[in-house]
Amino acid sequence: MSAGAKKRIMKEYTECMNDPPTGMKINFNEQNMTKWEVLVDGPEQSIYAGGHFKLEINFPNEYPFKPPVVSFKTKIYHPNVSNDDKGSMCLGLLRADEWKPPNKVVAVLRLIQTLLIEPNQDDAIEPSIANEYKENRKEFEKNAKDWVKRYAK
Amino acid sequence: MDQSRSSAQPAGPRETMFCHECHDEWYRDEKGIICPECQSEFTEIIEDDNDPRDNFEHGHEDDDDSDSLPSLEEALHNHPPLDHNPWRDNDDPEEADISAMRFQPIGPGRFHVQATIHRTISPTQFIPGGTGGMGAFQSFLTNLVAGAVPAQDRGRERDQSQETDGQSESRAASGGSPHVHRFTYSALHPRDDNHPGPRLEPVDDLNNVMTSLFAMMGEPPGGGRGGAGHEMPPNPLMGLLAAMSGGQHGDAVYSQEALDRIVSQLMEQTATSNAPGPAPPQDIEALPRKQVTDEMLGAEHRAECSICMDEVTVGGEVTELPCKHWFHHGCVAAWLSEHDTCPHCRKSIKKDGEAVSGNANASSSRADPTSSMPGAFDVAGDGTLIDPWVVSSSPPSGNAGSNAQGESSDNGSRLRRGWFDS
Repeated sequence: MSAGAKKRIMKEYTECMNDPPTGMKINFNEQNMTKWEVLVDGPEQSIYAGGHFKLEINFPNEYPFKPPVVSFKTKIYHPNVSNDDKGSMCLGLLRADEWKPPNKVVAVLRLIQTLLIEPNQDDAIEPSIANEYKENRKEFEKNAKDWVKRYAK
Repeated sequence: MDQSRSSAQPAGPRETMFCHECHDEWYRDEKGIICPECQSEFTEIIEDDNDPRDNFEHGHEDDDDSDSLPSLEEALHNHPPLDHNPWRDNDDPEEADISAMRFQPIGPGRFHVQATIHRTISPTQFIPGGTGGMGAFQSFLTNLVAGAVPAQDRGRERDQSQETDGQSESRAASGGSPHVHRFTYSALHPRDDNHPGPRLEPVDDLNNVMTSLFAMMGEPPGGGRGGAGHEMPPNPLMGLLAAMSGGQHGDAVYSQEALDRIVSQLMEQTATSNAPGPAPPQDIEALPRKQVTDEMLGAEHRAECSICMDEVTVGGEVTELPCKHWFHHGCVAAWLSEHDTCPHCRKSIKKDGEAVSGNANASSSRADPTSSMPGAFDVAGDGTLIDPWVVSSSPPSGNAGSNAQGESSDNGSRLRRGWFDS
């Protein structure tokens, strides 16, 4: 990993410390600063309220020229998070051809928070969940809350 | 032929030879290692685990090559036709006659095997409940699952039903496939559970099928099946179906969702092809450098290069893109050498006239203010007044066209210089 990437990650982390983003906790390991563990609280106004979701952010060696890879380590019933052991996220911002170096991790995390409040139907990675969200909101909310109880407490 | 084949079965310590030229077989102690038929020296000793005839026999068939596992269907239907079987009176059922075979594990290492056999045998041969026929078939089943179950742990139940339709052996004349097959059931004769015999070739093929089925389910065939705590899947075939309903199984998908996932994965992998390619190095070098001035820092009097997040100070040098966004030269050069877009607004740094044809960012470069230069040239009407070649009577082609091109690009570069120097 280039010195520039390390420096930038360090700066981003310092920024996070000086101005801690609400509703999340960042675990930073100086030994391996390319892998952040973030604990995101389910936003109060969302169906995920009360849940705590562990996220993993992996910075590529080419960061910030390549996007970080974000994945949910806590299972979550959400159209934009893959329902498998990877928990990968479908986020336009994080796609290789849409990523811009000035984007910051905090912005990504804030975007994830807004996605928890309102899923993005057009960028769904789980079509069946997206469909349920669209067609049968009650059932979707029930399932999502159920999963929060089961996995995210 | 059949007779010679039967004597060629490895029996006892006698070594059987096989000729690769004429496919003849003989005993080594009788005729030596050179083929008595064609005098070829390209011969081989047949061993149990290395039988050169396998390759040849497979080669003669229209089957898949010997590497690939036969499908269950093939294994059940392509097998030795009774008409060529010297042990025609053998009570063994043909594999093709076995239908609805079901393996149902009822516990670790325990199978419940159920099969329905449709047979056409003469009534005299049929001994109801006789140990002869069923014993042989039982041993066939025994052998079939022997690969999966340790020999000591063969406590399983069998339930076979046998249907006879009373027809006589006339079937032997019909529907026989032409190939001669070495595989016979001869070895099944003396076998039963208590006297397991040597390896059986036809069963070996079926065993392969079972092995592949088990392998597909991630179950090691044979090994560890009887081990403590090692549970069998409820039913091998059910296990397979369960894997299918999971949606994805190796390269195959069985559900819309799994297909969608693969499609989006593919789209993601190829997405970069839609992204603008790298900017030419000379264009990157040609970008103007600027001294940071106080007004560039904005109201807060501090600013940073948004790529490396390092603060820039008044007097420092930055590189400015055509869209007026600026960065450290090294930072933005690293980005532009991969993507010809402004890290902020995605505008290309290319100017019209230099744009590489067929480049994906052609549209974005058109949106660039500098790209309207040739148009500006036309509007100014410069050329029309000065040059007589635009007179409508002369054909607007060839010389005139290239002339106009040169004129416009000349003009364009002059104007571009003006743009950047300002």
